[in-house]
Amino acid sequence: MMTAETKTTNEAHMDEDGGLTDDTVVSMNLPHLTFRTRNVEVFYGETQALFGIDLDIFRNQVTALIGPSGCGKSTYLRCLNRMNDTIDGCCVTGIIELDGDDVYDKALDPVHLRARVGMVFQKANPFPKSIYDNTAYGPRLHGLADSKADLDDVVEGSLTKAGLWDEVKDRLDAPGTGLSGGQQQRLCIARAIAVEPDVILMDEPCSALDPIATARIEELMDELRENYTIVIVTHSMQQAARVSQRTAFFHLGNLVESGDTEQIFTKPSDQRTQDYITGRFG
Amino acid sequence: MHKRTLMLATLAAFTFGDHAIARDQIRIVGSSTVYPFATTVAEQFGKSTGFKTPVVESTGSGGGLKLFCSGVGVEHPDITNASRRIKKSEVEKCHKNGVTSVTEIKVGYDGIVMANSKASAVMTITRKQIFLALAKDVPGPDGKLIANPNKTWRDVDANLPNVKIEVLGPPPTSGTRDAFAELALEGGCKKFPAIKAMKKKNKKSYKAVCHSIREDGAYVEAGENDVLIVRKLEANPNAFGVFGYSFLDQNSDKVQGSLIEGKKPTFENIAEGAYPVSRPLYFYVKNAHVGSVPGIKEYLAEFTADKAWGEEGYLTDKGLIPMPEAERNKFKTDAAAFNNLSM
Amino acid sequence: MTDRSTKSAKVAASLRRRHAAERRFRLYGMGAVAFALACLGLLFFTVVSKGYTAFQQTYVKLPIYFDAGDIDPKNSGDPKVWAKANYQGMAKKSLRGLFPDVKKRRDKRALYKLASSGAAYELRAIVRENPDLVGTTTDVWVTADDDVDMFIKGYIRGDVAENERRISNKEMAWIEALVADGRLEKRFNTTFFSAGDSREPELAGVWGAAAGSFFTLLVTLALAFPIGVAAAIYLEEFAPKNKLTQVIEININNLAAVPSIVFGLLGLAVFLNFIGMPRSAPLVGGVVLALMTLPTIIIAGRAAIKSVPPSIREAALGLGASRSQVVFHHVLPLAMPGVLTGTIIGMAQALGETAPLLMIGMVAFIVDIPGGFTDPATVLPVQIYLWADSPERAFVERTSAAIMVLLGFLIMMNLTAVWLRKKFERRW
Repeated sequence: MMTAETKTTNEAHMDEDGGLTDDTVVSMNLPHLTFRTRNVEVFYGETQALFGIDLDIFRNQVTALIGPSGCGKSTYLRCLNRMNDTIDGCCVTGIIELDGDDVYDKALDPVHLRARVGMVFQKANPFPKSIYDNTAYGPRLHGLADSKADLDDVVEGSLTKAGLWDEVKDRLDAPGTGLSGGQQQRLCIARAIAVEPDVILMDEPCSALDPIATARIEELMDELRENYTIVIVTHSMQQAARVSQRTAFFHLGNLVESGDTEQIFTKPSDQRTQDYITGRFG
Repeated sequence: MHKRTLMLATLAAFTFGDHAIARDQIRIVGSSTVYPFATTVAEQFGKSTGFKTPVVESTGSGGGLKLFCSGVGVEHPDITNASRRIKKSEVEKCHKNGVTSVTEIKVGYDGIVMANSKASAVMTITRKQIFLALAKDVPGPDGKLIANPNKTWRDVDANLPNVKIEVLGPPPTSGTRDAFAELALEGGCKKFPAIKAMKKKNKKSYKAVCHSIREDGAYVEAGENDVLIVRKLEANPNAFGVFGYSFLDQNSDKVQGSLIEGKKPTFENIAEGAYPVSRPLYFYVKNAHVGSVPGIKEYLAEFTADKAWGEEGYLTDKGLIPMPEAERNKFKTDAAAFNNLSM
Repeated sequence: MTDRSTKSAKVAASLRRRHAAERRFRLYGMGAVAFALACLGLLFFTVVSKGYTAFQQTYVKLPIYFDAGDIDPKNSGDPKVWAKANYQGMAKKSLRGLFPDVKKRRDKRALYKLASSGAAYELRAIVRENPDLVGTTTDVWVTADDDVDMFIKGYIRGDVAENERRISNKEMAWIEALVADGRLEKRFNTTFFSAGDSREPELAGVWGAAAGSFFTLLVTLALAFPIGVAAAIYLEEFAPKNKLTQVIEININNLAAVPSIVFGLLGLAVFLNFIGMPRSAPLVGGVVLALMTLPTIIIAGRAAIKSVPPSIREAALGLGASRSQVVFHHVLPLAMPGVLTGTIIGMAQALGETAPLLMIGMVAFIVDIPGGFTDPATVLPVQIYLWADSPERAFVERTSAAIMVLLGFLIMMNLTAVWLRKKFERRW
């Protein structure tokens, strides 16, 4: 929990880029830095989508990215696991580091990166395979399981962590696409965590779900936070307030403000943040 | 996966080089008129001996001779059928490409008939009248050549029926058409003294006048399919069709042949040479292939046996008009000895 | 008030016109469908009505004396010696025995023609299979001549004047005597399905052409399917979006419109003359047809691959699959039904092609059944064409019967395509 005192310390120990210096982090016993991004800019052909984003993501925390439609939050999210590489004409500049490793280093295979950074999408997209095969696909792909028994354990573990095990344990061969919307999304989460990533990126995971399913997934996020780092893009401020510890507000491709969720929602520093939160635009 | 297939295919392809695989099946090409006879002999030959049945293609006389004279080797045909004699230019081409020894075998005679449906009256006509009815340019009242003005048979001659001229015949690719032009049209055309004089002066224009068939719709090119022509004649009793005697024979219940210069197209008349529109049929053997392609000698023996091409042979059943015995024996000896042809 | 009523009158009028237009449009649509169905029905009716009689063949029962002195004079028991006996003579003798009053040479020739010319070979085969018949006189069923067959089936009418008939009065009398004696019978025409081509209609069959079609299509499938699918995957998934790729795409689409005979010319020039492959072989025919079918498979494959939703690809990429893993684990299996449908349609098209095969020598009289890819062979549509051109009356019904066989194959292939599509259809 961030206190007022810590907040002042934050302001006092910023480095030139606007982030915390490493010594400060160590001395203050702050949460470990997972993603460090500086001056990230993204171009789709001629159009610039992101302007100089400096943002830190901390371990075992839920960081929410909020902002009106088209402000660049999904674009930023997709930079973190290099999914923007699949889009033609997309150009990413700046520094993005995962635990100190440059994510865009030529020597780093995106496949490797994506084994450490998983992703859950807006519309649940389970493969048209069985529930077991869906969950087992990642570990099989990366050769993480040594034997069938091993794989069974991984599948069971992932489905349990995703809160789906009890509902599907006796029909693992049923097609993944036969589940309800909320169950499918939990299956996608199970699929993502089966490869034991460090970070899970979620791009508006609940926007296609009903309130009950949404609540279930938000509960899940809180449980998962103990073992994984989560970055979630959401267009619902209430959801951001409920689930996240840190929030970043994007507007028209710029990072307007970032900080503790409580602070952002009660005492934002920027007028634009204030206007967005109070619903003056959205 | 496809890389391996491509490699294998290329490998296989190069093993089929010019000389790698010796062919063990006789290849025959050529005239569509001789085709029914050649195929019958081929089938009998295959059934009664241990050799593989020869493969017979119907390419037309000209096309067949072209393939035949392209060279010696397994990729070239062994025998070509022709509904006309080989030309000097074709012999020269053969020599140029290494085909120096060729045996010529005359098979028999074929009549070309001008037939109409049995529902109509039989027509009696002369070659001169055929020329006046079907040629592109005919002599006008002053003797000069004009475009053919005759619309009905009666325009040609008062004795012929007052019916629109409509003749269905083979296209220019057909040897039957060449033969019809040469025998019927030219036969009538040279009866005009002016045109006959032209023959000595300008052979090319003589041929052009005597062989050109009118293109204004009175002569309809009905394709190579004689079955279709017979059907059309049944449907249209005023039309006439031009095709070989074998088709007349097989469909004698539906169509009847016109009398040309008083002679009916019958077996006897054609064999005796009385029916004027008949021509000999040939085939040519590439002597260089004898021995390397098995069975050629035995195929010739089957063809030149009396039970095939004789007066009571099975080819006669198919509509072939056989040669007189003396002629048959001459060609039988030629075949056995593989005598080289002399023009 | 008046405004509102005129307005509703106008709306009502335009509504009536609209309904009338919709009714007319519906009628046009139904009319078009009815016309198409009528044409199809006419085609089937014409073919079937002309061809169904070909499935029966007339056989004649002859009492044959298998003279041991003729078949095996030296009592050797060697089948090769037996094969050389004069079976034709035995058949002739048997016919003379049935009609002892026939004396004149001309009449005897006509009598002998009641049995097919292939009867001698049938007798030879019977003796080979039943050696204990040698020395006995047995009643044997042999194929009757095609003129007899046509008369029994009613295509040659007896009530027409004699000179307008192919069968003379004498021959008609003999046939009727045989029928009265129970010696002429129509049976199922197994020869049609087991024999190759022949000049005699009663001995001709489609098996040679069917085997040739089978080998040819096998080669076509083996070449066109892998190359076509690989090309479709490359063009959709891996090719960079530049000018070169566009040029390739335009050329592939144009290839689909090239007249098929051009492929035959290519086959002649490159495969036969340059590379030296054997003429008339299913191998060459298959390669030529593969070139023709390739654009169809590529275009169908691309459409199928394009239809796989990007969400599946993103999910796989997000998990760390490489580009080719995404294609082979996810995209291709999901695109497979579309690819298979395109392939089968391409194959069905290739099955009916004749023009390209003309140039490479597969339009020929080939009697022997092909045993492999390099034996000379012909294909079903070519066989139909050759028979349609033959003068013998009995080939008319056989042509229609062969068309029925070909249509049967085509319908089966298209049904397989529909079934495959239904089976692999997945919902996501």
